[in-house]
Amino acid sequence: MARRPTERNSLARPAQASVVDHQMNETPREATHKMKPAVILVGADKGGVGKTTVARLLADYLVGKNVPTRAFDTETPRGTLKRFHGDMTEVVDIASTADQMKILDTLNTAQVKVSLIDARAGSFAVSLRALRDIGFLDAVREGQFTFILFHVLGSSIASLDEISETAPFVTDAHYFLVKNHVNDTTFFEWDPATYSSYFSKTRSAGEVTIPKLNEMAYEQVDIAGSPFSAFIANKTGDGRPAVHSFVLRGYVRTWQRKVNEEFDRIDLLDLITGASGNT
Amino acid sequence: MAQKTRVYVCCSSIRRSGVSTTARLLTDYFICSDRTPAGFDIDPSEPDYGVRFPQCVTIVDASKVQGQMEMFDRLLAPDEIPKIVDVQHRFYDEFFETIDQIGFVDEADRAMVQPIVVFHADATNVSLDASLALIRRWPKLCLVVATNHGAAPLGGRATDVLSEFPTSQYFNIGALDSVTRTCFEAADFSLTDFLRTPPLEMSFVTHMALRVWTKAIFNQFRLFEIGAAMEGARYL
Repeated sequence: MARRPTERNSLARPAQASVVDHQMNETPREATHKMKPAVILVGADKGGVGKTTVARLLADYLVGKNVPTRAFDTETPRGTLKRFHGDMTEVVDIASTADQMKILDTLNTAQVKVSLIDARAGSFAVSLRALRDIGFLDAVREGQFTFILFHVLGSSIASLDEISETAPFVTDAHYFLVKNHVNDTTFFEWDPATYSSYFSKTRSAGEVTIPKLNEMAYEQVDIAGSPFSAFIANKTGDGRPAVHSFVLRGYVRTWQRKVNEEFDRIDLLDLITGASGNT
Repeated sequence: MAQKTRVYVCCSSIRRSGVSTTARLLTDYFICSDRTPAGFDIDPSEPDYGVRFPQCVTIVDASKVQGQMEMFDRLLAPDEIPKIVDVQHRFYDEFFETIDQIGFVDEADRAMVQPIVVFHADATNVSLDASLALIRRWPKLCLVVATNHGAAPLGGRATDVLSEFPTSQYFNIGALDSVTRTCFEAADFSLTDFLRTPPLEMSFVTHMALRVWTKAIFNQFRLFEIGAAMEGARYL
């Protein structure tokens, strides 16, 4: 497919809406109408660290806060995020120009201002390079877009190396390192001094901790193929009544509340709406 | 208007305070009222309550998710069948931690199920502090303080001690004399069978002592039920 001439222009074009303060009396939905487009990228180069779990939690959080959100799953041809959030997710190939256009050319024009991208294992660095090469990171620096990056870490030292590899791409992003304990990961391998030395290589990196969820509860949500919030509400993915165990729903509810508290703690909504003073 | 389904959680934060006795008495009370309850014994290694009522009490391992599902999913069924859970002191913390983790109290409220914590008191600050902690965590929780005068007598300061607990509802379980207690605690003794068909060979004194003791307790259970039903009455 030929590259459309408007592709770079659309990135360079000033944002249609200026950054506004997230007023106390504004609902998140009202605030998102006025805000600049936001891209949330969830990634890690290592597989099995729970990227899609984090993306699913973010999708649930944003929908729960009434923030219109669209999601892109880069796990082609079949996306896991798509399985859980089919109504808002599109499977894309982030390395393909056509799909890059699909995501980025529409940032300014789409009614939905928040785009959540779940980068499949191994494509994190590729995605960041692609975003740099097409000028997205420059546009972020110029204040046209908000860029929030959730870097999901594994327990091995390789994850620390990933942080330093990522550093050059995230200077203008809101960058968060995610310690995901959902699959019982312990981060004992990290020597605190080594950890700090890597951590200091990135500017403004925050930390988000995803607590452990009971295995059976996690497995049942997986089998149900529904968003966490639908499982808690005892519904199927398409909104029909389900018969999930109350105990398992209870565990998921408590776990999701703790995760949401983490997102609240980092002022995620303010970052998205620009109320915290965007880069 | 449909009645709330009541879940009686007989519990104590201290040992030997008569928790299983109250669970037994409540179970016998409901069976004798032709409302067979569903009971749960969460001590799978030494189940006493569960063994006494094999027809209506389930023994579960509440430390495992499977056991929790077996019990809590059933407790939340708004089927108007009374539920009774025997929570011995060594399972107390874990039980209420699980309740907190899974959001049982809030879900019960949504499901028209009323948890009633039958909290067994003694004269120490340990049980008082534990009861206060429950109310701090769940301010609207229905708490009934049970005093078993045989297992954990409060002594002469009973009124003062009880007044410090965060409730105005009490069950008083009287003390049995040693002979009658031995009879009541025998593994093959069934209070329901005794009340329905008193054994001919039983001593008249023991017979009468048990009847009087049981009647006093069952009257309290009945009054509590009437009070709870009146609370739910729309125009009263």
